[in-house]
Amino acid sequence: MAQLGSTTGEEAPARIAVIAAGVVSPLGFGLTETLGSLRQGRDCVTAVTRFSVAQCRCKTAGQVADDRLLAGVDKKLRAQRLHRASHMMIQALREAMTQVPEFEPELTVIGTTSGGMSYGEEYYRSLRQSGNLRRAPTWIANYPAQKPVLDAQEEVLGISVPCQVIANACASGTNAIGHGFECVRSGRYQRVLTGGYDALSELVFTGFDSLQASTPEKCRPFDRHRAGMVLGEGAAVLALENLELARARGAPVLAEIIGYGISTDNFHITQPNPSGAGARQAMERALRSAQISADEVDYINAHGTATIFNDAAEGKAISALFNGVPVSSTKSMMGHSLGAAGAVEAVVCLLALQNQLLPPNINFGASDDDVDLNIVANESRPAVVRTALSNSFGFGGTNASILLRRVGA
Amino acid sequence: MSLAIAGMGWVTPLGNGVDAVWERLLHGDEASATPIAEQLRDRSYCAFRVPESALTGLAHPRLRRASLISRFAASAGLEALQAAGVKVDSQNAGRIALIFAVSNGGVIYTRRFYRDVVESGAQSASPLLFPETVFNAPASHLAAILGVTGTTYTVVGDGAVGLLAIKMAEDVMTDQSLDYCLVVGTEEIDWLLCDAYRRWRLLRSEPPIEPFSKRKRGMILSEGAGAIVLARLSRRSAAEGRGGSITIERAHPGGCYRRRTEAKEILMRIVRDLSEIEPDFVVSSANGTFIDHAEQGALEQVIPNAITYAPKPALGESVGASGLWQVILGIQALRHGELPPVLHVDPNTSLRLSRSRTSVQGAREAIILSSGVNQQVAGLRLALS
Repeated sequence: MAQLGSTTGEEAPARIAVIAAGVVSPLGFGLTETLGSLRQGRDCVTAVTRFSVAQCRCKTAGQVADDRLLAGVDKKLRAQRLHRASHMMIQALREAMTQVPEFEPELTVIGTTSGGMSYGEEYYRSLRQSGNLRRAPTWIANYPAQKPVLDAQEEVLGISVPCQVIANACASGTNAIGHGFECVRSGRYQRVLTGGYDALSELVFTGFDSLQASTPEKCRPFDRHRAGMVLGEGAAVLALENLELARARGAPVLAEIIGYGISTDNFHITQPNPSGAGARQAMERALRSAQISADEVDYINAHGTATIFNDAAEGKAISALFNGVPVSSTKSMMGHSLGAAGAVEAVVCLLALQNQLLPPNINFGASDDDVDLNIVANESRPAVVRTALSNSFGFGGTNASILLRRVGA
Repeated sequence: MSLAIAGMGWVTPLGNGVDAVWERLLHGDEASATPIAEQLRDRSYCAFRVPESALTGLAHPRLRRASLISRFAASAGLEALQAAGVKVDSQNAGRIALIFAVSNGGVIYTRRFYRDVVESGAQSASPLLFPETVFNAPASHLAAILGVTGTTYTVVGDGAVGLLAIKMAEDVMTDQSLDYCLVVGTEEIDWLLCDAYRRWRLLRSEPPIEPFSKRKRGMILSEGAGAIVLARLSRRSAAEGRGGSITIERAHPGGCYRRRTEAKEILMRIVRDLSEIEPDFVVSSANGTFIDHAEQGALEQVIPNAITYAPKPALGESVGASGLWQVILGIQALRHGELPPVLHVDPNTSLRLSRSRTSVQGAREAIILSSGVNQQVAGLRLALS
């Protein structure tokens, strides 16, 4: 087991508090519903309804219901114009800001992979099929990746905040939180709003299907019979603040973010290094950043897409670094929400820390022979969870890990 | 935090090589517009494209199937690193960060991929094209070519994204384990993109781009990449040794306007924040659209004496690459003490512009402004020391 903790004798860096969080995902709207789904181990993957999947191998995804989603914006016309991704961001941000209405971020850092892609699809289909292009300006104006972030700021905060949108494929959400964490830790900012979002789109769904990365079966991360991923969608935001300042003004502290690691493994544009070297490097860097050892980690929310290659590589990396730490991939319940995944899973870790439970890895039967992981199989269970690690890995060999710690642990 | 410019590289419709393109701009050259047609509709557009000669000699297995956007980025990034004298090896691979700025991304392959899906069904979707549609494909190709193993980010936004990426680089470089940050802005053109901007009423059918014109006739899209290598100031002496003594004194975090009428006010705030020392000149992002008037208003009210140069009439609107191009132009102007002429200026424009090749000898401070058409604005200050 790696021993990475070290005391350098230098001045301790600032500590970073998560003072509020909001989430929308197939697991539910808000923290309470999400916690309920985690406790129950709900399978929230359903047949795709947004577009035809008749010619795809995979027919299912984790989806956010439109009826509740669109109710988040009062003005009907505006609600119709905004992309679903904007609605997700608005709902997630509104939940967070309800907890800390006085919070005024200096910077917003959000991860995504595809922005308002489905509007791009509608535009292209209308062009192709000589359809009605009356809505084209709306599609085009609401397609860019920063738009859902700016819409949420306008709708919920009512102020303009500088915005950085990170598109590092499936690691985007964790990268955004990690970069936000570093911004506050360096002392350059005191309050950063961070998170990630992505909405299901035909192009991306078909793309993963074309790679045969998605499965017609159940999503079974780390199972020896796993056959691939299913996609998902959602949004999550976290309000970060310098811990001392947050405490001084009496803000709630839900958890701390204590470390962040990023690596690039350069092996292949869509496949991880089979040795797990890139994943391992990201986790090692997160531990080093937090100045803790691997045996201080109580729970790992794995990237765990359920593809043959990802889970094998990540499993090797986790086995090499940790000794029997409970591991689950909550993508088994809600699918892989790409740019949102890291942010939604950070919220899952937050709930695990707050409620002292291990979220389950459903649809699990048996491990690979050569990977020794302590999978939280099929049911959530109570546990002492002081420190949680969340992994996200993406196309292009980009890997990111963050560490969260329970308040007072 | 001040960061030294250690190297630069670009690929533009006027060719590649920092000094070669700079000379053409000084001579008042304008990129040639190329028609872009598409069977999808009978409408054709004009765009400023990168000449094929600008990419010769760029051969790497990783780029064999890569889209133009990745090839532009690789070319500019490698030029910048070479100019900085930085060789990436196993010793320093984790000490170099890579930050990319893109706006529309790999639109050519994205359209091809989706065209196959729409025309022939999902079973025809290409597994080779799909990975190239992802925003961070150019960054991952360059990281693989260089062997960079550490921090790699792709930042997405509108025309302000290049400067926002430099702001992110400034934040990332607080990590003392990093020696350099390579910032690359890159973009490619496709008919679909031209059509989208036209429907958004921001594109004109053919050149010229008329900056700061009351008629707001729109822009002409262009493509290419720009790259700069940023070094911590402790490495500044090394940078100076290679002919550079210019720093990014401050990258502003930028702002977002909700309505077009708010853009001027936010730009004024940014210009004011960056004008602690009055700048000698400004490199503007004027592109012939509504945003020009916001920039003009902010500049006239806050720093009326600064001379303004606007490169987009000559180079086009390259969106994700444009901010990096502007920074490179600002650095060149500080180094060489002159500004190229702004092309196609309305003679009635009241702004103090470099209407012809203009000497700025002795200039030590410059502001770069990037105003996007989709709500984002950003700025930074360069200093010659």
